Amino acid sequence: MNFLKIFVRNLVKGPSTIPFPFAPAWTPERMRGRIQFKLQSCTGCRACEQVCAPGAIRFDKTPEGLRFMRWHNTCVFCGMCEFYCPTDAISQSDDWHMAHAVGEKYGMAIREVIPYIACTGCGMKTLASAPNPVGVAPPFTPEEIEQQRNLCPACRKKALAERGVQS
Amino acid sequence: MTLMQTITEKARNLAVRSPWIYRINAGSCNGCDVECATTALIPRYDVERLGCQYCGSPRHADIVLITGPLTARIKDDVLRVFAEIPDPKVTVAVGVCPISGGIFRESYAVHAQVDQYLPVDVNVPGCPPRPQAIIEGVAQAIAIWRERI
Repeated sequence: MNFLKIFVRNLVKGPSTIPFPFAPAWTPERMRGRIQFKLQSCTGCRACEQVCAPGAIRFDKTPEGLRFMRWHNTCVFCGMCEFYCPTDAISQSDDWHMAHAVGEKYGMAIREVIPYIACTGCGMKTLASAPNPVGVAPPFTPEEIEQQRNLCPACRKKALAERGVQS
Repeated sequence: MTLMQTITEKARNLAVRSPWIYRINAGSCNGCDVECATTALIPRYDVERLGCQYCGSPRHADIVLITGPLTARIKDDVLRVFAEIPDPKVTVAVGVCPISGGIFRESYAVHAQVDQYLPVDVNVPGCPPRPQAIIEGVAQAIAIWRERI
């Protein structure tokens, strides 16, 4: 009589096949999918490049600034870059819709440039990256981050010392 | 002439019904192969809804799934088996290894990327990709295959 139980259960629950290509699929909440990059938060510390095992992340010095490149087609979604990013500039989304025609192979990438600017303190050419928040107490406010972004490393140190923290 | 065209058209409509899938393991770690097997065998994913069936012989295949970074040891065999598959065929690279080499990129022992040696049509990145992502890639491959036949 066990089959009756199974029969009724299948009748109530419906088919177990997920209707994916014809309807949206369910995605787990903490699915490790395509990497997203937020240029505004990147400090240019290059920790992600160091920990990336398949070499999906690369930083290049270009005349415009420091270029961040990430190729999704060699990323293994290990999440190390997200773990080591001090400012959460790199985050993993739950997007897994990455199947693509071979023509778009090299388009599956993030290419962003942290531009060079003139330091507002001393006028030196410097990168407009976000300040490193590690060891800064109390933490930076959003206004302070914008202020620090426009300073060169020496002026940043000075500003931090005036603020009264060890960096 | 019109009769010939009609016959060709009818034959084409008959032929595009069910593409068969052949799976080549080009030195994969077995992760992607497990996901490919899952895609076909587990009722939850069931790639046979798209008319696809895994076949044992390369001579019956229409869609080829390639996994693995094309190791130096297996390269000649993969090329030989690939040449046995009749045209028109659509090639799907499953996982990051055949696409770019993934974790084995720039190793002396692998010949990634596979598209240097074989005409790849669809890429499904992931390490390994989800079964749904493989189904998505197979669906794209079927669309290409319908145009090509």
